[in-house]
Amino acid sequence: MSRYVIQFYKDGNMRYISHLDLLRLFKRTFKRTGIRLIYSQGFNPHPRMSFVQPLSLGYASDKEYLDFETTEQLDCREIISRLNGAMPAGVGIIGCRELPPTKRTLAALVEYAVYEASFELSEPIPWREKLEEFLAQEQILVEKKQKKTGKLVAQDIRPMILKVEPLERSENNDKYISLTLLICAGSNRNLNPETLLSAFCSFCGLSYAAETASIRRKELYCGGQDGRDGLVSVMEYTPQNH
Amino acid sequence: MTWNEQLDKLLRRVEKPARYIGGELYSVEKDPGSVATRFGFAFPDTYEIGMSYLGLQIIYHVLNGMENVYCERVFAPAQDMEALMRAENMPLFTLETKTPLTEMDIVGFTLQYELSFTNIVNMLDLAGIPILSSDRKEGDPFVAAGGPCAYNPEPLAPVLDFVMLGDGEDSLREVCAAHEEWKASGAPRTAFLETICRIPGIYVPAFYEPVYDEEGSFSHMNKLFDAAPDTVEKRIVEDLNAADFPEKNIVPLIDVVHDRAVVEIFRGCTRGCRFCQAGMIYRPVRERSKERIKELAKSQIEATGYDEMSILSLSTSDHSEIEPLVTELMEMCRSNNVALSLPSLRLDSFSFKVLQEIQGYKKSGLTFAPEAGSQRLRDVINKNITEKDIYSAMEQAIELGWTGVKLYFMVGLPTETFEDLDGIVEIAGGIMEIARRAGGGKRGRFNVTVSVSNFVPKAHTPFQWCAQDTEESFEEKHLYLKDKLKKIKGVSFHYHGTHTSHLEAVFARGDRRVCQVLLKAWELGCKFDGWSEYFNYQLWQEAFRLTGISSDEYALRTIDPAAPLPWDHLSCSVSKKFFQMEWDRARKEETTHDCRHSCVGCGVNSRTKCQREGTL
Repeated sequence: MSRYVIQFYKDGNMRYISHLDLLRLFKRTFKRTGIRLIYSQGFNPHPRMSFVQPLSLGYASDKEYLDFETTEQLDCREIISRLNGAMPAGVGIIGCRELPPTKRTLAALVEYAVYEASFELSEPIPWREKLEEFLAQEQILVEKKQKKTGKLVAQDIRPMILKVEPLERSENNDKYISLTLLICAGSNRNLNPETLLSAFCSFCGLSYAAETASIRRKELYCGGQDGRDGLVSVMEYTPQNH
Repeated sequence: MTWNEQLDKLLRRVEKPARYIGGELYSVEKDPGSVATRFGFAFPDTYEIGMSYLGLQIIYHVLNGMENVYCERVFAPAQDMEALMRAENMPLFTLETKTPLTEMDIVGFTLQYELSFTNIVNMLDLAGIPILSSDRKEGDPFVAAGGPCAYNPEPLAPVLDFVMLGDGEDSLREVCAAHEEWKASGAPRTAFLETICRIPGIYVPAFYEPVYDEEGSFSHMNKLFDAAPDTVEKRIVEDLNAADFPEKNIVPLIDVVHDRAVVEIFRGCTRGCRFCQAGMIYRPVRERSKERIKELAKSQIEATGYDEMSILSLSTSDHSEIEPLVTELMEMCRSNNVALSLPSLRLDSFSFKVLQEIQGYKKSGLTFAPEAGSQRLRDVINKNITEKDIYSAMEQAIELGWTGVKLYFMVGLPTETFEDLDGIVEIAGGIMEIARRAGGGKRGRFNVTVSVSNFVPKAHTPFQWCAQDTEESFEEKHLYLKDKLKKIKGVSFHYHGTHTSHLEAVFARGDRRVCQVLLKAWELGCKFDGWSEYFNYQLWQEAFRLTGISSDEYALRTIDPAAPLPWDHLSCSVSKKFFQMEWDRARKEETTHDCRHSCVGCGVNSRTKCQREGTL
């Protein structure tokens, strides 16, 4: 029994398949390659594999991660080439690493994500200054629907925003915004990038036009490890037992 | 904005955008510039339904196997996508290359269901292709159709440039080869139609003009092009083992209705149920051998990575090697971690053994289709199943731990009386009684579901002359059954809406005049009529009123068997004489045996050899 994490991109038309669709795609692709995964026991056996963090439908990503267990040990390069040989266009494996067989999934360890987001404002405004004002707030309250009751509750998203910066390509453009966002994306604290974009638009007195937005996840990070501070890419993080 | 950016803008706003993206494993990429014929295979319903249809996979495979043909797919966009496409002036496009349908050479619709006809009109409109064949100009695509409803295509005749009857494997190749030649010749549009009407199985409606008598009844077809055949005979693929069949099915990226590997194990049926159009038009039975089926199953499973596989045919248990076939497929599936799912088998001891093995503790539903409640009526419809069959199968099922059964019946069958309906109630009650006895006087968890559909007379069946019940009569029967069945604990009852059944009958037996209603209904906003959430009967009634066409005239009329029929010039190679004979026997409550015992004289063996004749 061996455990691996693969790093892959999801781009082009594959942006439009959901998290569950992607799970099914990987399940079938593994089957086609003949790489045998470990299955759960019970009436409805499922292969033991999990994405580190679901990606919203419509988003592209440069670096996604899948954590899985195989029945036999394989060479990482071989896993990459076999999967890429069987995968339809739009999803491609770029890295693979063997992991120690601990109980802790990477999904439980991921904490932050970087996104690039571009969208159109309904009217031109000096949004760079507005952005500084927006981020200078101590609290940024948004209304969030509670899953169970459906009630709207106020939530402060400011603590989940680590960094928001304009991208070069949107310089000198008052209508078209391009930002890079570093925000929380974990099982404890998670911020949808569009909640942030929409909050910023309301702050400017505008409404957020989701259909104009193009969003790309750049990377997922775990918190510091081995006394190191800062962010560690999921690809470099080694889960350990406590 | 580029086309892709424009599409992205729409896809961000619709539900299930992956319906429109293509790019699935084994979808075919070709250089459109390098082929002679671009074929748009059009399915007049959503992606999830169309991709579950095996015929699509077969045709896609056959056409793309031709070097000079590129077959691409197109489905009916859901309402949200359609609204955006119309708002943004985006024409209907193919999944593979996102090419507007107007740039196809041939757009071929499959006619699976009468109530998808408005979607065909809507898709043509959304594509910007003139809806009527007579309005199409040089350079416009040819609009074609095939499939079961193509055996009476008259309600769509003014829309279609040509129709393909029977198995498409060979005729599609011949049509595309003719198209390539025609295109190279630079001849006018009509020249192509004049050529292909000589290909067996091809019907060009514009070459036939219906003539009606003074009372408005159909009299005959006036042929407008001499070389067109008097009768168009369906195409028959004789040897299924030699026929092309996909080993690498397109694997959808999203969840579709049937998302699995599937092998067709035979075509046709020998049983001769008199209401059943499939049982007539797909004659004779042609089997695929056990070895070939296994070979195809194996390659499909390996190529697709599916974890479920199924076999497909009418009356599946009738395959001559069904027991070893199922046993060996079970073996193969088990060793590949694939679940085998079987269509409803005849419930004998073998199928119980099989079901026990493949379902284990998770017993899924058993189904039974007695179709009629009394032996008398089952004889009328020639449904060869007895109460004893049902009860003894249920005894076994209950003993083996099944907790429910679903029973399918029809109401409105010819000669039906309320006594026949009582028979339905008796069967449901009888099964509950068996369950109670087995449970030591207690019902336990056992339940019976009675599902009733409304009889629709179909062209090319012995019941094609029979009147359909009025909607009032259907409703009365539904209420009668509902009232009686609700008194039996553990029985639940479902029935179909009567409006859709009435319309199905209009189209199933319609002539060319019915097209006006279809077009009017579409203008008024009808589409997705097969979906209860979109079906709007008021609009249909309005369409009938505005066109002055009576739906009752088509659905409720008993037709004289001697009278000419609007589909007489189209033949499924089962003779009209046989249908007449069967209609007579039905009314005399006489059954006709399964033709595996001996030939019953349907006429199809004048075209081809019946492999299964006299083999029982």
